[in-house]
Amino acid sequence: MLTVEELEVILLSLRVALCCVLVTLPPAVVLGWLLARCNFPFKLFLDGIFHLPLVLPPVVVGYLLLISFGRQGIWGPWLDFFDIQFAFDWKGAVISSSVVAFPLVLRAVRLAIEDVDPKLERIARTLGASSVRVFFTITLRLAMPGLIVGSLLAFARSMGEFGATITFVSNIAGETRTIPTAIYTYLNQPDGEMAVLRLATFSIIISLIALVASEWSVKRLRKR
Amino acid sequence: MLRIDIEKSLNDFQLCADLILDAPTTGLYGPSGAGKTTLLDCISGLNEPDRGEIIREGQVLFSSLHGVVLAPEKRRIGYVAQDERLFPHLLVRENLRYGHDLLPPNRRRFSFEQAVELLELGTLLDRYPKFLSGGERRRVALGRAILASPELLLLDEPLAGLDQALKGRIIPYLNHIRIDLQIPMIYVSHSLSEILELTDNIIVIEKGKILANGSFFSLMSKPELLPLFDRQRVENIIRVRVEASGDRSGLCRARLCEHTLKIPYCRITPGQFLLVGIHADDVIISLERPVGMSIRNVIKGQILQIVENDSVGWVHVDIGQRIVAKLTLEAIEEMRISLNQDVYCLIKTHSIRIGPRVDQ
Repeated sequence: MLTVEELEVILLSLRVALCCVLVTLPPAVVLGWLLARCNFPFKLFLDGIFHLPLVLPPVVVGYLLLISFGRQGIWGPWLDFFDIQFAFDWKGAVISSSVVAFPLVLRAVRLAIEDVDPKLERIARTLGASSVRVFFTITLRLAMPGLIVGSLLAFARSMGEFGATITFVSNIAGETRTIPTAIYTYLNQPDGEMAVLRLATFSIIISLIALVASEWSVKRLRKR
Repeated sequence: MLRIDIEKSLNDFQLCADLILDAPTTGLYGPSGAGKTTLLDCISGLNEPDRGEIIREGQVLFSSLHGVVLAPEKRRIGYVAQDERLFPHLLVRENLRYGHDLLPPNRRRFSFEQAVELLELGTLLDRYPKFLSGGERRRVALGRAILASPELLLLDEPLAGLDQALKGRIIPYLNHIRIDLQIPMIYVSHSLSEILELTDNIIVIEKGKILANGSFFSLMSKPELLPLFDRQRVENIIRVRVEASGDRSGLCRARLCEHTLKIPYCRITPGQFLLVGIHADDVIISLERPVGMSIRNVIKGQILQIVENDSVGWVHVDIGQRIVAKLTLEAIEEMRISLNQDVYCLIKTHSIRIGPRVDQ
């Protein structure tokens, strides 16, 4: 069925996408809560900055990452010092897809937190719960459907990421070649059509599974 | 004892409260928008006053002078609102346990089972809040607040939005909390009758100002407060002991001091105590004992006080217990009603409202 090379591509894509979810969700929860519940100066500006990757061409995002975190980039020497390398490494693919996916996650999480009735949080305080406990037992728990939807969006965006990734970490077999870049590569090869078809099929299957799983868990939560 | 002396501005509304609450149960009465909820929020810590101090039993909850702002979770003040605010993602059982489980066992004043039994929640425990009726939701909210072992319970219109029958069924639960569990409470309502069914200590608040603080009759003696009370019909709330019920006469007999009060038929076993409501404008004053009338209750009493306000006279009569009758000034003048005079109070059986049952 799949060649070793194609299997590698799919596993790498899944790894990058799952890492992208793990990387984007925690900061999205913190920032989403800040934007939903607090008022501070430059809130609109901050909101704008984090939404920028949504409207910028992904290639531009990739380029900005390259000049910041590439070997010759602004932070290059620092990363070298700590022996961290992003360019031409799968971790770089996680970074680029995370930056691109972050606004989607942030938006989903923020809307979900805004939807939680602050009165419930207030009553929990009078019952003796500290604000941290209220956040975890009430706010986050009630916003969970939003977190799941946000995760799905991050996963899907990461699975489909092309422009930013190829610009930042290139397209190296076994290192940074994910499903979209692999399809692009195979399309340019004379005998690559069957490989493209197989990868596209798997891409559809993975997306369907992710979609059904998230719908199922959101429904389970909403039933209450 | 709760000592409150605070100021709080909200947009163009200003709350200014200087109070001492001594009684275990206090009613906070005022029209909507008077600042009742803001005052409660300042007490519970959900809102911070601009200036002043709040001290409960020697513990400083808030003091702008000393920079003390105790967090709401450290105040041990329970709060129940008309929108019950049950946690939708938790079972009734988990809702009830939310505050309870946060307390170390030696600080829990009531057991889970005790609250479940008192509020009759046993059959609801494994449901989610959205499958509860209005009355059930209120009871769960009350139970949840009690189980957090509060040292003061704030009830913000806890009966609003319930129909009369349901109100009558919730009030005995509140009385249980008040009497059996001995939790001090501040009961907020814009219905005077509702407050009087729980307590005789009333604080009157309007437009962010505390207008009065005292017993019902002491407030009814202040002419300037009467228009505020009379927005709804003023109702005398009287405790009676049912003596006999369900005979062919179609009414119940109840004892009110040395008098027998004939009240509408109700299914209550003799010997039990009951609150009844009699509107002040349903009480007729007569100088002589009338004959040949359908009125069932003719009770001899003595005039205690006459309070006049604008066009209305409020006559306080002692019939073993004080009740208020609302009369026209013309009637008072024509009948030459004067202090200490003996009169008869005429009360139609069917103008007596059967209120909740009470203990003793």
